[in-house]
Amino acid sequence: MTHQEFLDQVDAYALGALEPTEANALEQHLATEGPHPLCEAALARASETVATLAADLKPVSPPPRVWEAISQSIAQGQEPAPRKPSAPEPVARPSRATPPPARRIPAWTYGLAAAAVLALVYSGVTVRESRHSAAMASAAAAECRKELAESRIDLLRKEDAIQLLLEPGTQLVSLKPTKDAQGPLAQSTGVVIFNPRGRALFLGKSFPGQPTRDYELWLIRGGKTVAAGLLPPGPDGRVFADVRPEVFTGGHPQNFAISIEQKGGERDAPKGPVIFLGAVAAP
Amino acid sequence: MTRPAEDGTVLESVRRGDARALEELYRRHSPRLYALLLRMLRETADAEEILQETFVDAWRRAREYAASRGSVEAWLITIARSRAIDRIRNRGARLRLVKQSEQLAPAQPPQPEPPDVHAQTRLRRAMGTLPPEQRRAIELAYWDGMSQTEISRETGDPLGTVKTRVRLGLQRLAELLAG
Repeated sequence: MTHQEFLDQVDAYALGALEPTEANALEQHLATEGPHPLCEAALARASETVATLAADLKPVSPPPRVWEAISQSIAQGQEPAPRKPSAPEPVARPSRATPPPARRIPAWTYGLAAAAVLALVYSGVTVRESRHSAAMASAAAAECRKELAESRIDLLRKEDAIQLLLEPGTQLVSLKPTKDAQGPLAQSTGVVIFNPRGRALFLGKSFPGQPTRDYELWLIRGGKTVAAGLLPPGPDGRVFADVRPEVFTGGHPQNFAISIEQKGGERDAPKGPVIFLGAVAAP
Repeated sequence: MTRPAEDGTVLESVRRGDARALEELYRRHSPRLYALLLRMLRETADAEEILQETFVDAWRRAREYAASRGSVEAWLITIARSRAIDRIRNRGARLRLVKQSEQLAPAQPPQPEPPDVHAQTRLRRAMGTLPPEQRRAIELAYWDGMSQTEISRETGDPLGTVKTRVRLGLQRLAELLAG
Protein backbone atom coordinates (compact mmCIF):
# COMPACT_ATOMS: atom_id res chain seq x y z
CA MET A 1 0.00 0.00 0.00
CA THR A 2 1.29 3.45 -0.89
CA HIS A 3 1.03 6.49 1.35
CA GLN A 4 -1.53 7.96 -1.06
CA GLU A 5 -3.67 4.84 -0.88
CA PHE A 6 -3.51 5.07 2.89
CA LEU A 7 -4.51 8.73 2.84
CA ASP A 8 -7.42 7.97 0.50
CA GLN A 9 -8.86 5.46 2.95
CA VAL A 10 -7.92 6.80 6.34
CA ASP A 11 -11.21 8.65 6.89
CA ALA A 12 -13.25 5.55 6.24
CA TYR A 13 -10.85 3.63 8.47
CA ALA A 14 -11.30 6.03 11.38
CA LEU A 15 -15.04 5.86 10.86
CA GLY A 16 -14.95 2.06 11.01
CA ALA A 17 -16.43 1.86 7.50
CA LEU A 18 -13.79 -0.37 5.90
CA GLU A 19 -14.15 -4.07 5.42
CA PRO A 20 -11.87 -6.09 7.74
CA THR A 21 -9.39 -6.91 4.96
CA GLU A 22 -9.12 -3.25 3.95
CA ALA A 23 -8.65 -2.18 7.57
CA ASN A 24 -5.95 -4.82 8.02
CA ALA A 25 -4.09 -3.48 4.99
CA LEU A 26 -4.01 0.01 6.50
CA GLU A 27 -2.81 -1.33 9.84
CA GLN A 28 -0.13 -3.33 8.08
CA HIS A 29 1.01 -0.23 6.25
CA LEU A 30 1.49 1.67 9.50
CA ALA A 31 3.10 -1.27 11.26
CA THR A 32 5.58 -2.40 8.66
CA GLU A 33 6.30 0.24 6.04
CA GLY A 34 7.26 3.18 8.25
CA PRO A 35 8.03 5.85 9.12
CA HIS A 36 4.77 7.60 8.23
CA PRO A 37 4.55 11.09 9.66
CA LEU A 38 1.95 12.17 7.10
CA CYS A 39 -0.13 9.03 7.43
CA GLU A 40 -0.04 9.20 11.23
CA ALA A 41 -1.04 12.86 11.17
CA ALA A 42 -3.93 12.05 8.82
CA LEU A 43 -5.03 9.22 11.09
CA ALA A 44 -4.86 11.49 14.14
CA ARG A 45 -6.93 14.13 12.40
CA ALA A 46 -9.55 11.63 11.20
CA SER A 47 -9.72 9.97 14.64
CA GLU A 48 -10.22 13.33 16.34
CA THR A 49 -13.02 14.21 13.92
CA VAL A 50 -14.73 10.92 14.58
CA ALA A 51 -14.29 11.44 18.33
CA THR A 52 -15.84 14.88 17.99
CA LEU A 53 -18.96 13.35 16.48
CA ALA A 54 -19.50 11.61 19.81
CA ALA A 55 -18.56 14.62 21.87
CA ASP A 56 -21.85 16.31 21.18
CA LEU A 57 -23.85 13.55 22.77
CA LYS A 58 -25.27 14.27 26.20
CA PRO A 59 -23.10 12.28 28.64
CA VAL A 60 -24.82 9.46 30.53
CA SER A 61 -23.31 8.05 33.72
CA PRO A 62 -23.05 4.28 33.52
CA PRO A 63 -24.34 2.28 36.50
CA PRO A 64 -21.74 1.50 39.21
CA ARG A 65 -21.80 -2.20 38.34
CA VAL A 66 -19.86 -1.50 35.14
CA TRP A 67 -16.82 -0.17 36.94
CA GLU A 68 -17.13 -2.92 39.55
CA ALA A 69 -16.97 -5.50 36.77
CA ILE A 70 -13.98 -3.78 35.14
CA SER A 71 -12.20 -3.56 38.47
CA GLN A 72 -12.86 -7.22 39.15
CA SER A 73 -11.63 -8.27 35.69
CA ILE A 74 -8.42 -6.32 36.11
CA ALA A 75 -7.82 -7.72 39.56
CA GLN A 76 -8.20 -11.21 38.20
CA GLY A 77 -6.14 -10.42 35.11
CA GLN A 78 -9.04 -11.59 32.98
CA GLU A 79 -11.36 -10.48 30.23
CA PRO A 80 -14.81 -9.29 31.33
CA ALA A 81 -16.85 -12.29 32.36
CA PRO A 82 -19.64 -12.06 29.74
CA ARG A 83 -17.15 -12.25 26.90
CA LYS A 84 -15.16 -15.16 28.19
CA PRO A 85 -14.12 -17.45 26.62
CA SER A 86 -13.38 -15.96 23.19
CA ALA A 87 -14.88 -18.99 21.50
CA PRO A 88 -17.60 -21.14 22.94
CA GLU A 89 -16.18 -23.90 25.00
CA PRO A 90 -16.96 -27.34 23.62
CA VAL A 91 -19.68 -28.86 25.69
CA ALA A 92 -20.04 -32.27 24.18
CA ARG A 93 -18.06 -34.37 26.54
CA PRO A 94 -18.55 -37.31 28.81
CA SER A 95 -20.94 -36.00 31.40
CA ARG A 96 -18.69 -37.27 34.16
CA ALA A 97 -15.44 -39.13 34.31
CA THR A 98 -16.71 -40.99 37.33
CA PRO A 99 -20.21 -40.83 38.76
CA PRO A 100 -20.74 -39.04 42.08
CA PRO A 101 -20.98 -41.36 45.07
CA ALA A 102 -24.64 -40.60 45.73
CA ARG A 103 -25.63 -41.53 42.23
CA ARG A 104 -27.14 -44.92 41.71
CA ILE A 105 -26.77 -46.64 38.37
CA PRO A 106 -29.87 -48.70 37.49
CA ALA A 107 -29.36 -52.41 37.59
CA TRP A 108 -30.35 -52.81 33.93
CA THR A 109 -27.35 -50.80 32.85
CA TYR A 110 -25.12 -53.30 34.57
CA GLY A 111 -26.91 -55.99 32.59
CA LEU A 112 -26.10 -54.18 29.35
CA ALA A 113 -22.56 -53.62 30.48
CA ALA A 114 -22.26 -57.28 31.26
CA ALA A 115 -23.53 -58.11 27.77
CA ALA A 116 -20.99 -55.73 26.29
CA VAL A 117 -18.25 -57.31 28.34
CA LEU A 118 -19.33 -60.76 27.19
CA ALA A 119 -19.24 -59.64 23.56
CA LEU A 120 -15.79 -58.23 24.01
CA VAL A 121 -14.55 -61.33 25.80
CA TYR A 122 -15.80 -63.41 22.90
CA SER A 123 -13.92 -61.24 20.44
CA GLY A 124 -10.83 -61.70 22.62
CA VAL A 125 -11.26 -65.45 22.56
CA THR A 126 -11.49 -65.32 18.79
CA VAL A 127 -8.24 -63.44 18.70
CA ARG A 128 -6.56 -66.00 20.92
CA GLU A 129 -7.92 -68.95 19.01
CA SER A 130 -6.68 -67.60 15.72
CA ARG A 131 -3.19 -67.56 17.22
CA HIS A 132 -2.36 -64.07 16.09
CA SER A 133 0.85 -62.55 17.18
CA ALA A 134 1.23 -61.19 20.70
CA ALA A 135 1.42 -57.67 19.36
CA MET A 136 -1.87 -58.03 17.57
CA ALA A 137 -3.48 -59.52 20.64
CA SER A 138 -2.21 -56.62 22.68
CA ALA A 139 -3.64 -54.13 20.19
CA ALA A 140 -6.96 -55.93 20.22
CA ALA A 141 -6.98 -55.90 24.00
CA ALA A 142 -6.39 -52.15 23.98
CA GLU A 143 -9.24 -51.77 21.52
CA CYS A 144 -11.43 -53.88 23.76
CA ARG A 145 -10.58 -51.73 26.75
CA LYS A 146 -11.41 -48.61 24.75
CA GLU A 147 -14.73 -50.00 23.60
CA LEU A 148 -15.53 -51.11 27.11
CA ALA A 149 -14.78 -47.62 28.42
CA GLU A 150 -16.95 -46.08 25.71
CA SER A 151 -19.79 -48.46 26.51
CA ARG A 152 -19.53 -47.40 30.12
CA ILE A 153 -19.65 -43.72 29.16
CA ASP A 154 -22.61 -44.34 26.91
CA LEU A 155 -24.51 -45.99 29.72
CA LEU A 156 -23.74 -43.14 32.07
CA ARG A 157 -24.96 -40.67 29.47
CA LYS A 158 -28.22 -42.52 29.07
CA GLU A 159 -28.64 -42.64 32.80
CA ASP A 160 -27.95 -38.92 32.99
CA ALA A 161 -30.63 -38.21 30.40
CA ILE A 162 -33.16 -40.42 32.16
CA GLN A 163 -32.47 -38.78 35.51
CA LEU A 164 -32.99 -35.35 33.98
CA LEU A 165 -36.21 -36.44 32.27
CA LEU A 166 -37.57 -37.60 35.61
CA GLU A 167 -36.91 -34.28 37.33
CA PRO A 168 -39.96 -32.03 37.89
CA GLY A 169 -40.46 -29.36 35.22
CA THR A 170 -38.27 -31.03 32.61
CA GLN A 171 -39.49 -30.71 29.04
CA LEU A 172 -38.43 -32.37 25.85
CA VAL A 173 -37.80 -29.76 23.16
CA SER A 174 -37.91 -31.37 19.76
CA LEU A 175 -35.82 -29.50 17.18
CA LYS A 176 -37.34 -29.30 13.70
CA PRO A 177 -35.18 -29.18 10.56
CA THR A 178 -35.24 -25.90 8.65
CA LYS A 179 -35.07 -25.53 4.89
CA ASP A 180 -31.27 -25.42 5.25
CA ALA A 181 -31.16 -28.97 6.63
CA GLN A 182 -30.51 -30.56 3.26
CA GLY A 183 -28.87 -33.75 2.03
CA PRO A 184 -27.83 -36.13 4.81
CA LEU A 185 -28.90 -33.54 7.39
CA ALA A 186 -32.51 -34.15 6.42
CA GLN A 187 -32.15 -37.51 8.22
CA SER A 188 -30.77 -35.95 11.41
CA THR A 189 -32.88 -35.62 14.53
CA GLY A 190 -32.23 -33.71 17.72
CA VAL A 191 -33.90 -33.02 21.07
CA VAL A 192 -32.98 -30.89 24.03
CA ILE A 193 -33.92 -32.21 27.44
CA PHE A 194 -34.37 -28.97 29.31
CA ASN A 195 -35.07 -28.32 32.95
CA PRO A 196 -35.85 -24.69 33.86
CA ARG A 197 -33.68 -24.97 36.94
CA GLY A 198 -30.74 -24.62 34.60
CA ARG A 199 -29.81 -28.01 33.23
CA ALA A 200 -30.03 -29.22 29.65
CA LEU A 201 -28.73 -32.07 27.54
CA PHE A 202 -28.72 -32.29 23.79
CA LEU A 203 -29.17 -35.66 22.10
CA GLY A 204 -28.80 -35.97 18.36
CA LYS A 205 -28.81 -38.78 15.83
CA SER A 206 -27.49 -39.15 12.29
CA PHE A 207 -25.43 -35.95 12.29
CA PRO A 208 -22.96 -36.22 9.40
CA GLY A 209 -19.37 -35.38 10.33
CA GLN A 210 -18.19 -31.90 9.29
CA PRO A 211 -14.40 -32.03 8.79
CA THR A 212 -13.99 -28.27 8.46
CA ARG A 213 -16.95 -26.95 10.41
CA ASP A 214 -18.77 -27.39 13.71
CA TYR A 215 -22.36 -27.74 14.76
CA GLU A 216 -23.24 -25.10 17.33
CA LEU A 217 -26.19 -24.98 19.71
CA TRP A 218 -27.88 -21.64 20.43
CA LEU A 219 -30.57 -20.52 22.77
CA ILE A 220 -32.75 -17.53 22.00
CA ARG A 221 -34.02 -15.38 24.82
CA GLY A 222 -35.68 -11.98 24.61
CA GLY A 223 -34.64 -11.52 21.01
CA LYS A 224 -30.98 -12.28 21.76
CA THR A 225 -28.93 -15.31 20.84
CA VAL A 226 -26.66 -17.03 23.34
CA ALA A 227 -23.99 -19.48 22.22
CA ALA A 228 -24.62 -22.71 24.12
CA GLY A 229 -21.69 -24.78 22.87
CA LEU A 230 -20.46 -27.01 20.10
CA LEU A 231 -22.03 -30.35 19.20
CA PRO A 232 -19.39 -32.67 17.79
CA PRO A 233 -20.94 -35.89 16.48
CA GLY A 234 -19.37 -39.24 17.24
CA PRO A 235 -18.23 -41.61 14.48
CA ASP A 236 -21.73 -43.11 14.48
CA GLY A 237 -23.35 -39.68 13.95
CA ARG A 238 -24.70 -39.51 17.47
CA VAL A 239 -24.33 -36.36 19.54
CA PHE A 240 -24.57 -36.08 23.29
CA ALA A 241 -23.84 -32.70 24.82
CA ASP A 242 -24.16 -31.38 28.33
CA VAL A 243 -25.13 -27.72 27.95
CA ARG A 244 -23.18 -25.36 30.22
CA PRO A 245 -25.54 -24.28 33.02
CA GLU A 246 -24.34 -20.66 32.97
CA VAL A 247 -26.06 -20.02 29.65
CA PHE A 248 -29.39 -20.27 31.48
CA THR A 249 -28.61 -17.65 34.11
CA GLY A 250 -30.14 -14.88 31.97
CA GLY A 251 -33.62 -16.42 32.16
CA HIS A 252 -35.93 -18.84 30.43
CA PRO A 253 -35.12 -19.40 26.73
CA GLN A 254 -37.82 -19.22 24.07
CA ASN A 255 -36.03 -21.38 21.51
CA PHE A 256 -33.11 -23.65 20.83
CA ALA A 257 -31.39 -23.69 17.46
CA ILE A 258 -28.46 -25.40 15.76
CA SER A 259 -26.28 -23.82 13.12
CA ILE A 260 -23.24 -24.93 11.15
CA GLU A 261 -20.27 -22.67 11.83
CA GLN A 262 -16.60 -22.40 11.12
CA LYS A 263 -14.35 -24.44 13.42
CA GLY A 264 -14.61 -23.23 17.00
CA GLY A 265 -18.06 -21.71 16.50
CA GLU A 266 -19.29 -18.15 16.84
CA ARG A 267 -19.57 -16.05 19.97
CA ASP A 268 -22.55 -13.78 19.56
CA ALA A 269 -24.73 -14.96 16.73
CA PRO A 270 -24.77 -17.69 14.10
CA LYS A 271 -23.15 -16.77 10.82
CA GLY A 272 -23.69 -20.09 9.10
CA PRO A 273 -26.96 -21.77 8.11
CA VAL A 274 -29.43 -22.56 10.89
CA ILE A 275 -30.47 -26.16 10.40
CA PHE A 276 -32.69 -26.89 13.42
CA LEU A 277 -35.11 -24.84 15.50
CA GLY A 278 -37.32 -25.74 18.44
CA ALA A 279 -39.65 -23.77 20.72
CA VAL A 280 -39.49 -24.07 24.50
CA ALA A 281 -42.77 -24.02 26.41
CA ALA A 282 -43.30 -21.03 28.69
CA PRO A 283 -42.44 -21.66 32.37
CA MET B 1 -14.25 18.11 26.69
CA THR B 2 -10.85 16.45 26.49
CA ARG B 3 -7.67 17.12 28.38
CA PRO B 4 -5.13 15.51 26.09
CA ALA B 5 -2.04 16.37 28.15
CA GLU B 6 -3.59 15.24 31.44
CA ASP B 7 -5.01 12.13 29.81
CA GLY B 8 -1.57 11.31 28.48
CA THR B 9 -0.12 11.50 31.99
CA VAL B 10 -2.89 9.34 33.39
CA LEU B 11 -2.39 6.79 30.62
CA GLU B 12 1.30 6.66 31.48
CA SER B 13 0.29 5.53 34.97
CA VAL B 14 -2.10 2.99 33.48
CA ARG B 15 0.81 1.60 31.48
CA ARG B 16 2.69 1.08 34.73
CA GLY B 17 -0.21 -0.96 36.08
CA ASP B 18 -1.88 1.69 38.24
CA ALA B 19 -5.53 0.64 38.51
CA ARG B 20 -6.47 3.95 40.14
CA ALA B 21 -5.27 5.74 37.00
CA LEU B 22 -7.58 3.56 34.93
CA GLU B 23 -10.41 4.49 37.29
CA GLU B 24 -9.58 8.16 36.68
CA LEU B 25 -9.74 7.62 32.91
CA TYR B 26 -13.03 5.82 33.41
CA ARG B 27 -14.39 8.68 35.51
CA ARG B 28 -13.44 11.18 32.82
CA HIS B 29 -14.54 9.36 29.70
CA SER B 30 -17.11 6.70 30.56
CA PRO B 31 -20.19 9.02 30.50
CA ARG B 32 -19.54 10.09 26.92
CA LEU B 33 -18.52 6.61 25.80
CA TYR B 34 -21.61 5.16 27.45
CA ALA B 35 -23.82 7.71 25.68
CA LEU B 36 -22.15 6.82 22.39
CA LEU B 37 -22.65 3.09 22.96
CA LEU B 38 -26.28 3.55 23.98
CA ARG B 39 -26.88 5.51 20.81
CA MET B 40 -25.14 2.95 18.63
CA LEU B 41 -26.35 -0.24 20.26
CA ARG B 42 -29.76 0.90 21.60
CA GLU B 43 -29.64 -1.72 24.31
CA THR B 44 -28.47 -0.97 27.82
CA ALA B 45 -27.03 -4.42 28.48
CA ASP B 46 -24.95 -4.36 25.29
CA ALA B 47 -23.76 -0.81 25.97
CA GLU B 48 -22.65 -1.76 29.50
CA GLU B 49 -20.89 -4.85 28.26
CA ILE B 50 -19.00 -3.02 25.51
CA LEU B 51 -18.09 -0.21 27.89
CA GLN B 52 -16.68 -2.79 30.28
CA GLU B 53 -14.71 -4.43 27.48
CA THR B 54 -13.41 -1.09 26.28
CA PHE B 55 -11.73 -0.25 29.58
CA VAL B 56 -10.42 -3.75 30.15
CA ASP B 57 -9.00 -3.56 26.63
CA ALA B 58 -7.50 -0.14 27.35
CA TRP B 59 -5.86 -1.59 30.47
CA ARG B 60 -4.37 -4.48 28.53
CA ARG B 61 -3.33 -2.44 25.49
CA ALA B 62 -2.19 0.79 27.13
CA ARG B 63 1.34 0.24 25.82
CA GLU B 64 0.05 0.23 22.24
CA TYR B 65 -1.33 3.76 22.50
CA ALA B 66 0.60 6.24 20.31
CA ALA B 67 -0.02 9.94 20.90
CA SER B 68 1.02 10.65 17.31
CA ARG B 69 -2.13 8.89 16.12
CA GLY B 70 -4.63 10.86 18.21
CA SER B 71 -5.72 11.76 21.73
CA VAL B 72 -6.46 9.26 24.48
CA GLU B 73 -10.14 10.07 24.14
CA ALA B 74 -10.06 9.37 20.40
CA TRP B 75 -8.23 6.12 21.15
CA LEU B 76 -10.88 5.05 23.67
CA ILE B 77 -13.65 5.97 21.26
CA THR B 78 -11.96 3.94 18.54
CA ILE B 79 -11.81 0.88 20.81
CA ALA B 80 -15.44 1.31 21.89
CA ARG B 81 -16.76 1.90 18.38
CA SER B 82 -14.79 -0.97 16.94
CA ARG B 83 -16.34 -3.37 19.44
CA ALA B 84 -19.78 -1.84 19.01
CA ILE B 85 -19.54 -2.22 15.23
CA ASP B 86 -18.64 -5.89 15.66
CA ARG B 87 -21.70 -6.29 17.85
CA ILE B 88 -23.96 -4.51 15.33
CA ARG B 89 -22.68 -6.60 12.45
CA ASN B 90 -23.22 -9.78 14.43
CA ARG B 91 -26.75 -8.70 15.13
CA GLY B 92 -27.56 -8.98 11.44
CA ALA B 93 -27.09 -12.71 11.68
CA ARG B 94 -28.74 -12.79 15.08
CA LEU B 95 -31.83 -11.00 13.85
CA ARG B 96 -32.19 -13.45 10.99
CA LEU B 97 -32.27 -16.32 13.48
CA VAL B 98 -34.61 -14.51 15.85
CA LYS B 99 -36.95 -13.80 12.95
CA GLN B 100 -36.96 -17.47 12.06
CA SER B 101 -37.57 -18.43 15.67
CA GLU B 102 -40.53 -16.07 15.96
CA GLN B 103 -42.38 -18.34 13.58
CA LEU B 104 -42.21 -20.97 16.30
CA ALA B 105 -42.52 -18.95 19.51
CA PRO B 106 -45.71 -17.03 20.18
CA ALA B 107 -44.23 -13.78 21.46
CA GLN B 108 -40.94 -12.15 22.29
CA PRO B 109 -40.43 -9.62 25.07
CA PRO B 110 -40.27 -6.04 23.77
CA GLN B 111 -36.86 -4.54 23.17
CA PRO B 112 -35.80 -1.65 25.38
CA GLU B 113 -36.57 1.75 23.96
CA PRO B 114 -33.58 3.66 22.65
CA PRO B 115 -32.43 6.21 25.18
CA ASP B 116 -33.05 9.89 24.64
CA VAL B 117 -29.97 11.58 23.26
CA HIS B 118 -29.55 15.22 22.37
CA ALA B 119 -27.04 16.12 19.74
CA GLN B 120 -25.49 19.48 20.38
CA THR B 121 -26.11 22.34 18.00
CA ARG B 122 -22.51 22.74 16.94
CA LEU B 123 -22.30 19.28 15.46
CA ARG B 124 -25.74 19.62 13.93
CA ARG B 125 -24.71 22.85 12.28
CA ALA B 126 -21.58 21.25 10.90
CA MET B 127 -23.49 18.20 9.72
CA GLY B 128 -26.14 20.50 8.28
CA THR B 129 -23.66 22.09 5.94
CA LEU B 130 -22.77 18.75 4.36
CA PRO B 131 -24.56 17.64 1.21
CA PRO B 132 -27.34 15.24 2.29
CA GLU B 133 -25.76 12.24 0.62
CA GLN B 134 -22.42 12.81 2.40
CA ARG B 135 -24.21 13.26 5.72
CA ARG B 136 -26.21 10.08 5.23
CA ALA B 137 -23.11 8.06 4.35
CA ILE B 138 -21.33 9.25 7.51
CA GLU B 139 -24.37 8.66 9.70
CA LEU B 140 -24.87 5.14 8.38
CA ALA B 141 -21.22 4.35 9.08
CA TYR B 142 -21.02 6.11 12.42
CA TRP B 143 -24.27 5.21 14.13
CA ASP B 144 -25.28 2.03 12.36
CA GLY B 145 -21.79 0.58 12.04
CA MET B 146 -22.14 -0.02 8.31
CA SER B 147 -19.14 -0.60 6.09
CA GLN B 148 -18.88 1.31 2.82
CA THR B 149 -19.94 -1.84 0.99
CA GLU B 150 -23.05 -2.09 3.17
CA ILE B 151 -23.81 1.59 2.66
CA SER B 152 -23.56 1.08 -1.09
CA ARG B 153 -26.01 -1.80 -0.83
CA GLU B 154 -28.33 0.18 1.45
CA THR B 155 -28.42 3.34 -0.69
CA GLY B 156 -28.04 1.75 -4.11
CA ASP B 157 -25.13 4.07 -4.90
CA PRO B 158 -21.92 2.73 -6.49
CA LEU B 159 -19.23 1.76 -4.00
CA GLY B 160 -16.78 4.29 -5.45
CA THR B 161 -19.31 7.07 -4.94
CA VAL B 162 -19.86 6.03 -1.33
CA LYS B 163 -16.11 6.03 -0.69
CA THR B 164 -15.80 9.53 -2.09
CA ARG B 165 -18.72 10.77 0.00
CA VAL B 166 -17.26 9.34 3.20
CA ARG B 167 -13.84 10.83 2.51
CA LEU B 168 -15.03 14.27 1.45
CA GLY B 169 -17.69 14.42 4.15
CA LEU B 170 -15.34 13.59 6.98
CA GLN B 171 -12.67 15.95 5.71
CA ARG B 172 -15.24 18.74 5.48
CA LEU B 173 -16.45 17.97 9.00
CA ALA B 174 -12.88 18.05 10.26
CA GLU B 175 -12.49 21.57 8.87
CA LEU B 176 -15.82 22.76 10.26
CA LEU B 177 -15.40 21.27 13.70
CA ALA B 178 -11.83 22.46 14.01
CA GLY B 179 -12.82 26.01 13.05
